[in-house]
Amino acid sequence: MAWEYSEKTKQLFMDAVHGKPGTHIGELENPDGIGEHGSLACGDAIRFTFRVKRHPTDPTKDVITETRYLTFGCTSAIAASEALCSLIEQRGLTPIEALKITNQDIVDYLGGLPRQKIHCSVMGAEALEAAVFNWAQRRGVDLKSLGIHLHLAEENEGRIVCKCFSLTEPYIRRKIKELNLRTIPEITNAIKAGGACTSCHYAPGGLQDLLDEIWGAEKPQQKSLPQLPLLPEITPQPKPDGEKEQPQVSAYQFGKKIEQALDQYARPLLRKDGGDVEIVDIKDHLVYCRLTGACRGCDHAAQTLRLLVEQTLKETVDERIRVISV
Amino acid sequence: MDVIYVDNNATTCIAPEVVEAMQPYFTAEYFNPSSMYAPARRTSKALKQARADIARFFHLDEPETILFTSCATESNNTAIFGTAKANPNRRHIITTAVEHPAVLEVCKALQREGYEVTFLGVDRHGNLDLADFIRALRPGRTLLVTIMHANNETGVIFPIPQLARLTKETDPAILFHTDATQSVGKLPIDLSREYQYVDMLSFSGHKLHAPKGVGVLYLKRGTRCRPLLIGGHQEDGRRGGTENVPYIVGLARALQLAAENLAEEYKRVELLRDRLEQALLERIPYLEVNGAGAPRLPNTLNISCHYVEGESLLTQLDTFGICASSGSACTSGSLEPSHVLRAMKIPETAVQGSVRFSFSRYNTMEEVSRIIEVFPTIVANVRRISPYWDQDQNAPRFVTA
Repeated sequence: MAWEYSEKTKQLFMDAVHGKPGTHIGELENPDGIGEHGSLACGDAIRFTFRVKRHPTDPTKDVITETRYLTFGCTSAIAASEALCSLIEQRGLTPIEALKITNQDIVDYLGGLPRQKIHCSVMGAEALEAAVFNWAQRRGVDLKSLGIHLHLAEENEGRIVCKCFSLTEPYIRRKIKELNLRTIPEITNAIKAGGACTSCHYAPGGLQDLLDEIWGAEKPQQKSLPQLPLLPEITPQPKPDGEKEQPQVSAYQFGKKIEQALDQYARPLLRKDGGDVEIVDIKDHLVYCRLTGACRGCDHAAQTLRLLVEQTLKETVDERIRVISV
Repeated sequence: MDVIYVDNNATTCIAPEVVEAMQPYFTAEYFNPSSMYAPARRTSKALKQARADIARFFHLDEPETILFTSCATESNNTAIFGTAKANPNRRHIITTAVEHPAVLEVCKALQREGYEVTFLGVDRHGNLDLADFIRALRPGRTLLVTIMHANNETGVIFPIPQLARLTKETDPAILFHTDATQSVGKLPIDLSREYQYVDMLSFSGHKLHAPKGVGVLYLKRGTRCRPLLIGGHQEDGRRGGTENVPYIVGLARALQLAAENLAEEYKRVELLRDRLEQALLERIPYLEVNGAGAPRLPNTLNISCHYVEGESLLTQLDTFGICASSGSACTSGSLEPSHVLRAMKIPETAVQGSVRFSFSRYNTMEEVSRIIEVFPTIVANVRRISPYWDQDQNAPRFVTA
């Protein structure tokens, strides 16, 4: 699919892959905050690190001075990572202030993103949140007492709704509300949920159920339909032609008889010429064979199968047998 | 900047000879071939000639077995839905997991209607297992076998003559269809001898230097198949709609051009592909060639770079004017990487990093050299910024924090 990326997106991407000065590629050693999001299987992943200028007494007044990222992903994933870092550094934010940066800020910075690529901006915002959580732990900041609720732990443990991208119910619920997602395609574009096998769309407790629960379901207008008369019973279809009578012996016995006959009559002759015959499959009276060894690819292979193998089996096992060369 | 177009499995440029052949039928010879007056009889004659030429390309002496459609997708839909409708007492279909969506999704649609569909898997190289295929055949019950000739993503070729023969020897009433969109014009296909057991074959014009919007369905005489488009007597009532005369004439000319140099072009294009493959393998660590262990089209190279996402490679190639494609999730718009590569069980670390280069007769060794010059750097660029890549070792970082 041809994506229409903004000039800004393409520029940020090209600057990043060329490692232009001023870009934010890399990983800080001993960072004050580190956060990850995504995986190889998802097709994109980011590791985001930042360093702060530590406030001597009040860690909540730490100011982010440096940000770095490593990103595996497409053009927009890499551009979104670059946008995230620029947004934070330009504004001289504390980690807690940085949390206010939303995926929409990233989209705006990029000058828009294709609808199906919104999840790239969400990935950046998620990694930032994880990094701030990490910073708070290191600096002994109790985010909860500040009225900030990061849901990372709870979200990692909840019931998995989208198996393809390992997304849990609490996570999807929060994102539906935060990003005001109203339809399944909107959910998929934003956080990928339901974008692969699609089995969670209408499953019980799946995406549609979550949407209905959060936004209220539109009640389908129940109209009673006139009762249709029942159709007369369908006459059973005639048995497909070509079906033969079942052989008297079991399939196993039949196969064994064939192998015995081959061992006794055909194989000794074939082996004299350094060849052999292998049964690939037996289907009713069709015996699928492959000549092996020196016989494989021999000019007389087809004739050998018909005259020697088929004739032997017809005479000794069942006259209905037909040999098919594989 | 000169464009280097190496995405010929997606579409091809129209050959100048084809444009020339079509020209009169856009202007002076615009008549409806079904009309009665003398000028229309000229268009009708051109149509007849094109049909006969195309039949002859496949060594057929019955032009009426060639049915014109709007695209290969329509041909595939007609072949599958049409035979299902015409043979209601059989309800089992055999296909593969790596078909083009124009076959795969049609089979799935029938599956939803209650048909039983066997999707044959492939091995790590993209090959089918013959024993699996034989086991799937059900005499008296199987309606249709539909298996592609060459894969659009990897170029892997399936042994259609053998599969068709095994099908017919098992039960002559099982129909055999092949989507040959990628192979027509690249591989010799003789429907009177080697490929005689094939009942239906689909392809389109725009993969072989004819325009988009014209396709063919070969329908062997006596094949039970209902039309998809009804509402006209055209094509003996098997496909309604006024014939697209200029494009059909163009398609016939394109096949003629392909036939003239088929063997030489095969070798020449294969040389380009092999050169690129070898050079990239030498220059890029952790690179896979998808389908390398199977018979492949001479023009297709599908590689996977471990720990790289394919779309980020295409964006960079684009800045050099190089047009290629990828099977990564981000390129498809579906969030899932290529179903073909997944069926081949390409490792998770490589499945997102595929790039396909596909050549045509207009590509040159200079273009290949240019790709060899820029591509390794492009891969290194994105590995450098990946959390999964160790810069110092120039190797994957196996332990992540």
